[in-house]
Amino acid sequence: MYFCTVLDLTMLLFILKRILYGFLLMLGVITLVFFLFTVLPSDPARMIMGQRTDIATEEAIRKEMGLDLPIGVQYLAYLNDLSPISWHKTKDKDSFFYLNPSNYHYISFLSFENSSIVLKKPFMRRSYQSKRQVIDILSEAFPKTALLAVVSIFFAIIVGITIGVLCAVFKGSWFDKIALFFSVLGMSVPSFFAAILFAWVFAFLLADVTGLSMFGSLYSVDNYGSGQFLDLRNLILPAITLGIRPLALVVELTKNSVLDVLSQDYIRTARAKGLPYRRILVKHTLKNALNPVVTAISGWLASLLAGAVFVEYIFDWKGMGVVIVDALDKYDFPVVMGALLYVSIILVIINIIVDITYGWLDPQVKFTS
Amino acid sequence: MDILKVDNFSLAFKREKSWHTVLHNVTFALKKGETLGIVGESGSGKSVMALSIMKLLSATQSRVNEGNIHYFDTESSREISILPLKEKELRKIRGRKIAMIFQEPMTSLNPSLKCGYQIVEQLRLHTSLSKKEAYKKTIELFKEVLLPRPEKIFQAYPFELSGGQKQRVMIALAMSCNPDILIADEPTTALDVTVQKGILELIKKLQSKYQMSVIFITHDLGVVVDIADTMLVLYQGKIVEYGDAENIFENPKHPYTQGLLACTPSLEYRLRKLPTVSDFIQNEHIVKQEETREEWIRSLIISSEERENHHLQLYSREPILKIENLSKIYPLRKEKLFSKRQYLTALNNVSIEVYEGETLGLVGESGCGKTTLGRSIIRLIEPSKGNIIYKGKEITSLSSKELRKVRKEVQIILQDPYSSLNQRITVGEALIEPMRVHNLFRNDKERKKRSIELLERVSLNESHFYRYPHEFSGGQRQRIAIARALTLNPKFIICDESVSALDVSVQAQVLNLLNELKREFQLTYIFISHDLSVVKFMSDRMAVMKDGEIVELNEADKLYKNPQSQYTQQLIEAIPRKRI
Repeated sequence: MYFCTVLDLTMLLFILKRILYGFLLMLGVITLVFFLFTVLPSDPARMIMGQRTDIATEEAIRKEMGLDLPIGVQYLAYLNDLSPISWHKTKDKDSFFYLNPSNYHYISFLSFENSSIVLKKPFMRRSYQSKRQVIDILSEAFPKTALLAVVSIFFAIIVGITIGVLCAVFKGSWFDKIALFFSVLGMSVPSFFAAILFAWVFAFLLADVTGLSMFGSLYSVDNYGSGQFLDLRNLILPAITLGIRPLALVVELTKNSVLDVLSQDYIRTARAKGLPYRRILVKHTLKNALNPVVTAISGWLASLLAGAVFVEYIFDWKGMGVVIVDALDKYDFPVVMGALLYVSIILVIINIIVDITYGWLDPQVKFTS
Repeated sequence: MDILKVDNFSLAFKREKSWHTVLHNVTFALKKGETLGIVGESGSGKSVMALSIMKLLSATQSRVNEGNIHYFDTESSREISILPLKEKELRKIRGRKIAMIFQEPMTSLNPSLKCGYQIVEQLRLHTSLSKKEAYKKTIELFKEVLLPRPEKIFQAYPFELSGGQKQRVMIALAMSCNPDILIADEPTTALDVTVQKGILELIKKLQSKYQMSVIFITHDLGVVVDIADTMLVLYQGKIVEYGDAENIFENPKHPYTQGLLACTPSLEYRLRKLPTVSDFIQNEHIVKQEETREEWIRSLIISSEERENHHLQLYSREPILKIENLSKIYPLRKEKLFSKRQYLTALNNVSIEVYEGETLGLVGESGCGKTTLGRSIIRLIEPSKGNIIYKGKEITSLSSKELRKVRKEVQIILQDPYSSLNQRITVGEALIEPMRVHNLFRNDKERKKRSIELLERVSLNESHFYRYPHEFSGGQRQRIAIARALTLNPKFIICDESVSALDVSVQAQVLNLLNELKREFQLTYIFISHDLSVVKFMSDRMAVMKDGEIVELNEADKLYKNPQSQYTQQLIEAIPRKRI
């Protein structure tokens, strides 16, 4: 018998192993991102300069950004900047490794003569455009994307499971057939197209009925100068659009899973007990049928975060998507690199949590690597 | 008084848009307090009959052609016709008046609900008991079906219980509302013999205590005589025999019943070859006349002198396989961080020798280590310690290249013909592949020729070469598995429960085939099964295993007639109605 209330050794090892793999994975991603953007045939220094062309400024910028250093040193410096524990020079103000208080929020815990090892918030460099710290830009945008993703996944779960169960119960009916048609459609329509279609239909053609606007973020400004206010209506269209694909998948998954469970022996037992159909469905079918669905959904949450880019951009929802597209448009590489790393680390963390939850939910799942 | 009457009942199933009749004019009656056994092979329609009584078949996939089913409700003294009833009225009968136990205890209980709850649910549905009273009643029921620690079982999920315990929970569930009729559909087929014995005794006890009527469905004639008053034999959806159980068992009238009885290996005498149902009846045409049958069977008996001579010859040679002090220990998962690691000993110092040309039988219940032993021989499972010497070679220390040579000579035939063949490759590919791997023959054309020869040898033919496994029945698949094992010209075959998933008459055919092949190719067998009568029929010597150890090893007939260990005696006693 398994009782998993106490964290056992195997589980602890499993978690440690997953975290270690997560670190290695992040290291790989950082390396890949760094070299990808360093070998690109464009010169960040020139980008920053914009229209000006004097050599002196260009050299100054190069030096400031460390572009004059060998690529290996640049790479180490990048890793050093990202790492929460890092080594910096404290006196040499010209050095690329100088511990500049305007860049780093830190607590130093090991000081040497002219350098120290510090514990700090990762420094993802500054945006070429706004000169703001990339991490601040991203931390501001991410919660909006997360909100969008979570709302759309909940929309997909609630609506999808309801439709899926109905499809299974009324298998072969017109309802089932129509639902199948729409879920195939939903799975195959690209999100940017769906986004435009939804914006056009619900916020333009039917705008008087729905009262929705085509663009808008979590906070709006009204015409009377009363400042920012929370505008949840703007969440509706992007969330639904983003939720369409998961919704279609949830419908099909739920339907198949429920049909599968309904053909199990224990459902026959439940019928032989004389239970009413509704009770068989709710008590005996759903719990068993929803396990695989929930398992699948938790895996999608991560990919949804990344998939929100188009939808956000079209609805002008000021999340990660808009930040990334804007940055790409303006060759603002630190922002693009930072966004990639930010999303990757969140994916890694979510996956670790999901893996651990599986093992915890289902004690029969063995923790093996 | 008849509590259940089935009149002229015919039922059809929908298969690919056309209707096939699966039950033809079935008529029988069940008295109060009577136990009726329904016997037949898979596909005979026995389970369909049971499900029809409670109207549990899918309304779109099945159709009643004619007939009636009447149930006499003792409470209201009214006769109810079941077939025209609506779902709502049926629900008052299901579980309360007529209850059912199913074949697979593993899958018949809801895996995500606690055992206790599954019974409380039914009690609360059909009676006016409060939650607390229902709990008490459930605990009582668990005590009645002899479950250990009822309070703990109440809180347990089905996966935490053994197969026998689950079936007891199912029985408690069926008994909870004191039904008039209990339908048990192969309730013991998936269980070990000793567990089966316990369950049969329990059903019998409850039946007489509550004066229930029982319909007991099984493919095993021995089980039916043990438990039933009357017996009904179904063959291709028709009743071929119906009457007093003891009487039918002793004097079967219909050739099908006679065939069924004859094809189960007898424990008393030894036959050269098992009769099969097709020796008696083929598509309702009687093959052998009744008078010649007995004589024919008598001519098949092997005399004890013949056997002794054969054994003298066998055991004068050196053993082909020697197993010395073989052990296999599995570490178990730690329950807590600092608890001591537990180990499971699957094999404990097993030593055994196999002689060239003999069949060594291994018998034991599930979990006794017989499969581990079989697989360890060719290192499909790595043994923890001990020696395996095959033809003078120490197998445990072979390099993987040398091991492959041994594996070519030592083949294994597994239990489940459904999962041991790859669904995605044709039978032909499955046969050619091992020859290709071991570089037998020059090209695929020759390999194909050999494969077809082998298919013909196991009574299949060339057309089967291009088909996929799902197109075959269980017996045919097991023949394919046998043909595949033969592709490499093995000298030694390990049959691991190779016939356990098959119907008795198919089982007899496969056993005969194995024996013919053994003579033809001069093979040596290790024959593993949980069924003592089958092992005894096949073996020269027989070993009984329990908890990873060999408790007894002897010449098969002697072991059966004169069992030394208590466990062997228990096993033999648990066999339902020792065959004539």
